[in-house]
Amino acid sequence: MLAYLLRRLWQMIPTLIGVVLLIFFLFRRFGVDPAQTLASLAATPREIAEIRQQLGLNEPWWVQLGLFVKGIVTFDWGRSWATNETIAHLLATRVPATLTVALPILVLDTLIAIPIALGVACVRGSLTDRAIMVGTTVALSISFLVYVIVGQYVFGFQLGWFPVQGWSDSTWTNLAVYAPLPVLLAVMVGLSPQTRLYRSFFLDELGHDYVRTARAKGLTEPAILFGHVLRNALIPILTNVGLTLPGLLIGSFLIEVYFSIPGIGREVLLAVNRSDYPVIQAVTICTALLTMLANLVIDVAYRAVDPRVVMR
Amino acid sequence: MTASPLLKVEDLHVAFRLLDARGRSHRVEAVGRGEQGVSFEVPANTTVALVGESGSGKSVSAMALVQLLPRNAECSGRVLWDGHDLLSAPRAHMQRLRGREIACVFQDPVSSLNPVLSVGQQIAEPLRKHLDMTRAAARRRAADLLAEVGIAEPGRRLDAYPHQLSGGQQQRVMIAMALACEPQLLIADEPTTALDVTIQRQILELLARLQRQRGLAMLYISHDLGAVGEIAQQIVVMRQGTVRERGSVRELFEHPRDAYTKALLACRPRLDERPRRLTVIDDVLSEPAREPAAPVRNVDLDLAPRRADDDDPVVLQVDGLGKSFWLRSGLVKRVEFKAVQDVRFTLRRGHTLGVVGESGSGKTTMGLTLLRLNDGASGPLAGRVLFHGHDLLALAPADRLAMRRRIQFVFQNPYESLNPRFTIGQTLVEPMTIHGIGIDMPVRERRAREWLQRVGLDADAMHKYPHEFSGGQRQRIAIARSLTLSPDVLVLDEAVGALDVSVQAQVLNLLKDLQDELGLAYIFISHDLAVVRFMADDVMVMKDGRVVEHRRTEALLAHPQAEYTRRLIGAVAHRPATTTPR
Amino acid sequence: MTDVPEFASTSLASAFPETPPGRRADGVWRGAWRRFRRDRTGTWAMAVVLAYALLLACTGSGLLARHWQDEVAVPDAPPAFLGAAGDTGIAPQASVAASAAGPDISDVDPLAPRYREWNERAARDHAQAKPLTATLPFGGDRLGRDVLAKTLKGTQISVSVGVLAAIVATLIGASLGAIAGFFGGRVGDVVEWLYNVLTAVPEILLFFAFAAVFGRGISTLVLIMGLTGWTSQYRQVRAEFIKHARRDYVRAAEAIGASAGARMFRHILPNVSHVILVRMSLLVVGFVKAEVILSYLSLGVATDQVSWGTMLAESQSELILGHWWQLAAATVAMAVFVTAFSLMADAWRDALDPKLRGQT
Repeated sequence: MLAYLLRRLWQMIPTLIGVVLLIFFLFRRFGVDPAQTLASLAATPREIAEIRQQLGLNEPWWVQLGLFVKGIVTFDWGRSWATNETIAHLLATRVPATLTVALPILVLDTLIAIPIALGVACVRGSLTDRAIMVGTTVALSISFLVYVIVGQYVFGFQLGWFPVQGWSDSTWTNLAVYAPLPVLLAVMVGLSPQTRLYRSFFLDELGHDYVRTARAKGLTEPAILFGHVLRNALIPILTNVGLTLPGLLIGSFLIEVYFSIPGIGREVLLAVNRSDYPVIQAVTICTALLTMLANLVIDVAYRAVDPRVVMR
Repeated sequence: MTASPLLKVEDLHVAFRLLDARGRSHRVEAVGRGEQGVSFEVPANTTVALVGESGSGKSVSAMALVQLLPRNAECSGRVLWDGHDLLSAPRAHMQRLRGREIACVFQDPVSSLNPVLSVGQQIAEPLRKHLDMTRAAARRRAADLLAEVGIAEPGRRLDAYPHQLSGGQQQRVMIAMALACEPQLLIADEPTTALDVTIQRQILELLARLQRQRGLAMLYISHDLGAVGEIAQQIVVMRQGTVRERGSVRELFEHPRDAYTKALLACRPRLDERPRRLTVIDDVLSEPAREPAAPVRNVDLDLAPRRADDDDPVVLQVDGLGKSFWLRSGLVKRVEFKAVQDVRFTLRRGHTLGVVGESGSGKTTMGLTLLRLNDGASGPLAGRVLFHGHDLLALAPADRLAMRRRIQFVFQNPYESLNPRFTIGQTLVEPMTIHGIGIDMPVRERRAREWLQRVGLDADAMHKYPHEFSGGQRQRIAIARSLTLSPDVLVLDEAVGALDVSVQAQVLNLLKDLQDELGLAYIFISHDLAVVRFMADDVMVMKDGRVVEHRRTEALLAHPQAEYTRRLIGAVAHRPATTTPR
Repeated sequence: MTDVPEFASTSLASAFPETPPGRRADGVWRGAWRRFRRDRTGTWAMAVVLAYALLLACTGSGLLARHWQDEVAVPDAPPAFLGAAGDTGIAPQASVAASAAGPDISDVDPLAPRYREWNERAARDHAQAKPLTATLPFGGDRLGRDVLAKTLKGTQISVSVGVLAAIVATLIGASLGAIAGFFGGRVGDVVEWLYNVLTAVPEILLFFAFAAVFGRGISTLVLIMGLTGWTSQYRQVRAEFIKHARRDYVRAAEAIGASAGARMFRHILPNVSHVILVRMSLLVVGFVKAEVILSYLSLGVATDQVSWGTMLAESQSELILGHWWQLAAATVAMAVFVTAFSLMADAWRDALDPKLRGQT
């Protein structure tokens, strides 16, 4: 197992290098001149040249790349061009807010979708099944934006069940008061694609031979679904959860923007609008690292679910 | 038999409701044709074999008995069990019956076992459901069952997962699972077809033993008339959804009444004799009705073995052929897996070398290596393959194209070896286009049509797609494709393994005819000794990548020297005398 | 060709009734078209998609909605079926006329003699200007622009971006997937590395990063989405090529001497093209939705263009005031298109290969 972990960590390095290179060249080559941005509007060319000197922009590109990498490795990611806040501090304060919303969404989505999909798989081929399929198709065709806009209007504004916007410093208040509406909306939207996907997993499994064997043993349909099909379907479900994990941090940015939640997604969006490169670069690289680690965790979790997997 | 039978099938009809290309739903009859349904009985403590080729409806009939057919199946008739009609029984009733009174063993144990549950859990399931055993009691009983079916170290094996067991062991687990609640009837649907030859024999013997010991009734479904002759007391022969003949094993083998039964018995190549041509079903069926006692004459029978002339020119000389694959092991190391080691033989014009072995013997790898169809980068090659003086293994890529003309390959699975998106015409013309045979397209198409007719198909097949043809026809097209290049050597890798017995006979006869006409040399790879007996002059037995024995066919079969060869010969079912005259 | 009931053993699978002699068999596409025609939902969906395509052509060529930017109505004009709002709009001439008369103040105001001239000129201009209407078929936005025209134009922009981006992503992903899947080895490793790098970062974040650098605009959008969105197509095509490269018919092609290129494009590609098409249709839907979100965030199309996303962005503030028609128009246009396209893609997938059922 240890050998496997080490090998996987070793394999992550080229990818991480690739991400760093991509970000570096993307912003250096195509982006605006940082000296220009940092200098005030009325700066003289001499002042701008000084700033360039300070930032090391006159060095050859491989030296700049070296500085860049050194910064990453020593966790010195610089400061935001817009607010002058250190990136490290920015991450430390924003990520918890994102997680307060994103984690409940992930958990609820998966937990609710599985029984619904199981139920739909039970009645496959019937009118209910077709109705649900058509319903989810239509539901999926409406942009997430519309759900958020309308949802906030109806639940927050009209009915007043939840505050329209807001955030506090206490995690518990957030979870209890401010998070429910955004989480509710996101789960509602996420249910459609998840249900369809999980339904297809269950149907796939139902077509396998071992289901016929289970029937031949005299098991009832529910026993087959829960005892046999679900266990096997957990494998693709786990894959799917693994695929959505990377998007956890950023994926809820729309929610954050709309409900003014100070999360990392909203931060990135602000950075994009303000051309605040250090923030974007740092978040991208961190997310890449987290994604790879999350994939590793999922791969190890496979071992618990699928005995055929061998950790080599 | 005065006691009433355990299971009585009366006038069974099964049809599937399908949607055709036009979207119309129509019924396809699988069991029963028109007015005539399928009827047979299974007495207690008896093994009844349900025999037929593909499309005969034997599997469908068996699944209909326990309501295990897909949703679009429509059944009618009666299936009487213990006074009740199973076809109209409610689902709860069937769920109580299945696993408890009637149990099933299926063809492919790999897919029939749940991959994520341990063997012990799967065997314990029916015990806990039907017999209400506690978890501990079920576990103990499961271990006993594993021991009974011949699995070593049953206690340890309980926690194994299916993929950790071999094919034979997996099938034993299936059998243990089926017998857990001591059913009265066991339905075995082609239980040995997916297994290696020697393992087949073991499972067959296991089932026979269990049936005797427990006094089971067994419904054994198979396409192999020879194999069931050893295990069954009664046989029901089916063809295209109807029962052709029913009777005891003795009656059927010695005095078959129905023409189809006679044909089935006659077309199978045998180990103990070598006719010039195999009987083909159509030969028998088209003969006018004769008295039941008169045996079928095979007009072309020539029992003298064909002279394998040592003066024929040498076409291929193989010396020390070896092929290995790199396998990854550990963090960075890689290990060499020797798939083929030190193979040597000489092949002459007009001769056939038979290569026999089970899965993992390396016989297919060897065939592919001769044509350089393995990826060269996947592992090292060794040895020399001299073809008219050139070493094929050392050829530069540019010269390989010329080599392709002279040695060709016919693959095992006729459903996979033709491109489903090409018409037959395109498939046949392509090799000629690549090698520049024929001046222009019309010439090539004409040649393609000629080859089609040579292998016994109509010229209008040129515009059709592979899915419109049966397995045997597709294999003939594949043979025609290889022959368009007029090669000298043909490597046939299990070329008839996937075909029905009757179709097999046609293709084998065709291969022999072509060899006589064109002077082809064959390397005939197979696991089936009887077929190799029919085709080959010399036989090479392979195991674990090495050659175990290599002699003239008659000599090898009459006096096998290696232990493994003896086991292989013993595994081929011996059946009672057939109707071909001596 | 009959469909085979799901049955494990191949014995039933091989019992195909053969085509009666004399009848030409269906190729893949013709057979699929026949099957597709049978699917009522699918054909209706395709009709809707074709209608959208026609709309696209008309709008793109300028036949329709050319002047969507003109402010033709009063701000927030309600839809015609709702009736006009309270004030029916100010008649421009009245304000001009009001200032025409008045005492002569030329000794105080040096510009006074010119007022009359200017007023006349203004009156001339205003007379040429069209009067602002009170209602529009679908209503107007806060600047008085015709929502119907905006919807048509927005449909054209959003759908074209989605389709173009899907085509670019498919071309890149399928080519890379074919090469990596067929050859494997070093080349495959390099492409895999590229794939890992691009998928290590969540797609939206990549969009943001590229948008931050390249700015807004349709061609930028298509480029960004195409360059980052090819990964799913790559994955699928690579898996298919790996699977097919091992199949006997490809080995057989190698045995008769077909070159690598011939094997990839003449043999394998026709067997894989339906998978590529199905995936491309998924990409279209995905990219359309992504464009909407990006435009909403002002990262998508340029400021002087309209798309479903910009319309939704504007409708946010309108909703509070009770003006729901722009939101409704954009939502309905998008929902109908995406639903129809998804249903059509489902039907095509089922027609092309029933075994693919359940993969979306």
